[in-house]
Amino acid sequence: MDVSIIIESLPPLLNAVLMTIFLAVISIIIALVLGFFTSLERISKIKILSKIASIYVSVFRGTPLLVQIFVIYYGLPQVNIEMDPIPSGILALSLNAGAYLSESFRAAILSIDKGQMEASVSLGMTYSQALRRIILPQSLRVAIPTLSNTFIVLIKDTSLVSVITVTELLQMSSLLIAKTFEPLTIYLMAAVLYWILIAFFTALLDKVEKRASQHVTL
Amino acid sequence: MSIIQLKNLKKHFGNQEVLHDINLEVNKSEVVVLMGPSGSGKSTLLRCLTFLEEPTAGAIKIGEHTLAAGEKLTRQRKNKIRDLRKSTGFVFQQFNLFPHKTAIENVMEAPMIVKGMKQDEARELAQSLLDKVGLGERCNHYPSQLSGGQKQRVAIARALAMKPTVMLYDEPTSALDPELVREVLQVMKELAKEGMTMVVVTHEMRFAKDVADRVVFMDGGYIVEQGRPEEIFNQPKEDRTKRFLAQVIGE
Ligand SMILES: Nc1ncnc2c1ncn2[C@@H]1O[C@H](COP(=O)(O)OP(=O)(O)OP(=O)(O)O)[C@@H](O)[C@H]1O
Ligand SMILES: [Mg+2]
Repeated sequence: MDVSIIIESLPPLLNAVLMTIFLAVISIIIALVLGFFTSLERISKIKILSKIASIYVSVFRGTPLLVQIFVIYYGLPQVNIEMDPIPSGILALSLNAGAYLSESFRAAILSIDKGQMEASVSLGMTYSQALRRIILPQSLRVAIPTLSNTFIVLIKDTSLVSVITVTELLQMSSLLIAKTFEPLTIYLMAAVLYWILIAFFTALLDKVEKRASQHVTL
Repeated sequence: MSIIQLKNLKKHFGNQEVLHDINLEVNKSEVVVLMGPSGSGKSTLLRCLTFLEEPTAGAIKIGEHTLAAGEKLTRQRKNKIRDLRKSTGFVFQQFNLFPHKTAIENVMEAPMIVKGMKQDEARELAQSLLDKVGLGERCNHYPSQLSGGQKQRVAIARALAMKPTVMLYDEPTSALDPELVREVLQVMKELAKEGMTMVVVTHEMRFAKDVADRVVFMDGGYIVEQGRPEEIFNQPKEDRTKRFLAQVIGE
């Protein structure tokens, strides 16, 4: 194993880490919005909305992410929907994570004691005021541990979009290996970088979680 | 003049009828204590009054709000129910404070959200109500930092913030340690003295004797008998009442 290979490979790999972070952060933001509204649709009394939402969740949780990526990137052009690799990757990642997040949100909303809704409406609030002011703020706090878990999984899942030539960390590693013929060194470096990245976000999210969970229970 | 009026109120859960044709009137400033064995329908009756449970049949009048049971839930009806709730304070056994809000925020919430009151005004109102229930000092505590008795007093202040004409209490002290019961009953007693109309489900005999104008005894979804506390406690007419009282006093 050659130290100079490590030194030479580090800058491009770090650059690729930025792409990995970019993919993960953009996708989680879209997924949060998507998951949030999907969860509201799923608990909604309007049948058609909750049906659509539950089909979406079932499809994206019930198929491999890799297949979703292929359908979006290689499949959709056949019906004249063409997207570049990066938007395709982000779309697949956010749709996938959104489906999981909507389930966490839904569980969190349902976990709030029904006395909270009763107390709210007994004070004269409407259902939607109670949802917005009382139920959802508590649900979000409850959901944070599973949200951070989803984000960690999402960071790892970004490696799958390497198959559609997005130069994130794993794809960059493969490119470097093609040049250096040092798979062990380069892949281990990639693994270490993933590990550091995830350890960092785990620690960060743990802090957020501690602060948010201060007053969730009575 | 009656401020609460229940006419032929019925409530079914599935095919079980848990309230049979209840008729009840409560006068302005009257304090009515509802008693009866577990499962007799006390909570259901109270919850029907503010449509936390939709009654199956009958009519309810609180103040100037009159609603018939079992009508279709149109927007107009929702508004009528909401108006009725605005003038009816409800205190729960489990307090149901908002855990993510401080005591004062709990009290400010409804005036601001429901009535559109300005924040400063709501804060002032909330502070005065918390002072009134003896918790002025604790206004910035979260519910998790309060004792059960303190929580229930915040819950009472929260209900009062809507300036209700009627207060309903469903076993307000049953979830409390014995040494915390008094402080809550004391607050309720003060309110009664100020002329608040109250319907209270409780097994606190002392409170009923000292504060209630009338005791209503329920069993199996019926009002079995009612009268002044001393009548009901000293000379109950019905066997069911006697058995129940013997049991409560025995405890
Ligand atoms: N949501 C519900 N679904 C079905 N049955 C219910 C429901 N709520 C109450 N009941 C039934 O209605 C009857 C009356 O219950 P309720 O809670 O009003 O009694 P209670 O007098 O308040 O009793 P307790 O002293 O135990 O609080 C009981 O038989 C109960 O099982
Ligand atoms: Mg009850």
